[in-house]
Amino acid sequence: MKPRVVSAEALTRLVTGWAKNAAVYAPVKVKDWTEFRRISTLAEADLTRVNTKLSVRGLLFPQCETMFRFEAARPDKPQEADQPEAQVILGVRPCDAAGIAVLDKFFAGQGETDTFYQRRREKTTLVGLACPSPADTCFCSAVGGSPAGTRGLDLLLTDIGGRYLVEPLTDNGESAVKDLPEAAAADFAKKKEIADRAAAAITLRIDTAGLKGLLDSADSHPVWEDLSLACVNCGACTFVCPTCHCFDITDETRKGKGARLRVWDTCQFCLYSQHASGHNPRQTHVSRFRNRTMDKFKYTVDMVGEVSCVGCGRCIRECPAAVDIRETVETLAMRLKE
Amino acid sequence: MSREDQLRKRAKELLANKEVAMVLGYRAGKRPGRATPAFVTRPEDADILIFDDRCGMNLAAYLPRVKHRGRIAVVAKGCDSRSIVTLLKERQVDRSQFFILGVGCEGVKENGRLSDSCTTCAYPNPVICDEMVGEKVAEREPAPDPLADFEKLSSDQRWQVLMDDVSRCIRCYACRQVCPNCYCPTCFVDANSPQWVGKTTAGSDNMMFHLMRAMHMAGRCVECGACSRGCPMGIDLMKFNRKVARVVRERFGAVAGLDPDQPPALAAFDPNDKQEFIR
Repeated sequence: MKPRVVSAEALTRLVTGWAKNAAVYAPVKVKDWTEFRRISTLAEADLTRVNTKLSVRGLLFPQCETMFRFEAARPDKPQEADQPEAQVILGVRPCDAAGIAVLDKFFAGQGETDTFYQRRREKTTLVGLACPSPADTCFCSAVGGSPAGTRGLDLLLTDIGGRYLVEPLTDNGESAVKDLPEAAAADFAKKKEIADRAAAAITLRIDTAGLKGLLDSADSHPVWEDLSLACVNCGACTFVCPTCHCFDITDETRKGKGARLRVWDTCQFCLYSQHASGHNPRQTHVSRFRNRTMDKFKYTVDMVGEVSCVGCGRCIRECPAAVDIRETVETLAMRLKE
Repeated sequence: MSREDQLRKRAKELLANKEVAMVLGYRAGKRPGRATPAFVTRPEDADILIFDDRCGMNLAAYLPRVKHRGRIAVVAKGCDSRSIVTLLKERQVDRSQFFILGVGCEGVKENGRLSDSCTTCAYPNPVICDEMVGEKVAEREPAPDPLADFEKLSSDQRWQVLMDDVSRCIRCYACRQVCPNCYCPTCFVDANSPQWVGKTTAGSDNMMFHLMRAMHMAGRCVECGACSRGCPMGIDLMKFNRKVARVVRERFGAVAGLDPDQPPALAAFDPNDKQEFIR
């Protein structure tokens, strides 16, 4: 697939064209941050900031999603929920795209395919944007990613000064940009320079394989108690995380009509693991804190063969108690070796 | 000796003399500009303690969770100390269980600016403490009434302002979890038989949560602002807190968290309470 270049004006025309056939989402400034919102022209987007408030996952796995509707008078005739429309998501950072690749494994990889996720995924084009300067919370390259990573994307754009280098990564991406002029060697050199500089800005290194080995037998280690003290057990870290994917199912009914919904859930809430009997195997604060860390660096390695932290840093940025997963991992690596 | 040095020295002494089992204070977070709660149990670790304008969490929220560890020394700003008073009134902690290291507070920062709740703080110094660390700070001139514009609106407009704000809520309950007043073993939103509040993030469910939470804060909230600062979605929770505190002050003449011997405003009956709303 041939890399191409696009000027800011040409990208504007391209986006307007996409918006005719699909819902186009991009980071849009909201208060002091950006969030993915539907746009009709590129001018509405703000592509300058690293990492939207919430990750891109909500556009593929919404916080609240209708599974089907029903009427009490017709219990045998549930009505299917609306089909999602085609969507192009512009300005997806490489960490978020890597998060989607992880979600793909859970929802559309081994075993059962999650139809609600899959039907959105199939209609989604992910247009990435390489990060020229990571935030102070970023650590993608410590967990296998990179500020110019391509995993999970259909296209990767890199701002090379007034215009973008466009790298098609899938047939879907290729067809979206086939009319653009091809890139020159100098465009690549510029992109490499930007990507190298961004990668050098992230200095943290995590030995994820070594950590996994330590976590395999760390269930009852006292370090969890110490690490969990500051955590207040809210769900902020899990709800802003690009790879957390737990949900609860609930019915909303009114006057004989209703809908079955699925809504995000989190292992940080006591109710999450409570059985119908009232028994709760994860009753304590420390066990819930441990679960989230274990999930990112051990359980998903066991399940799908990879760490499910993509280093976006949102949990660090949004934690009300300033719990920092980088520090958690460093402490674990140190204390579990003792 | 700086206030911070004094704090570390006293923490060391309290731990070394076995007067307390733990010092609950703050330490620098890994990310610049943030502080995180510190739980110091060894005298030699006391040097990690800090106190400055990064220390915005209300440490009283941690007291019920660590009290089983023995006697706790807790670093308390004005607002933290008032939350401790609320916990005492509500019999959640026992005064003999902890030692209050009081600190005067010039206000905490949020994204480089003075935090909104601190602009109207009337109690920058602890209202109760066992010992002051450093000097008391001068009381600040409070900002103009932050509710003035809101209260001028019609009830429909006020509803809309609140709805616009709470519609961003992702129901992570960070506000609840950082709040010293939220110690219920099962919160009303977690009750599921019956389920009082829907689990969706539709405006009505979110509003139900925030209004019910605000009602439960009446006469108890000390307006520390930890919930507003802790909210990942930037919801102006102080608007709810200030309004509820104002109603309690105007109707019952009560200000939360000042006197441990004064009964909670909404848990005590006084024939002089204004009750023109009951007809």
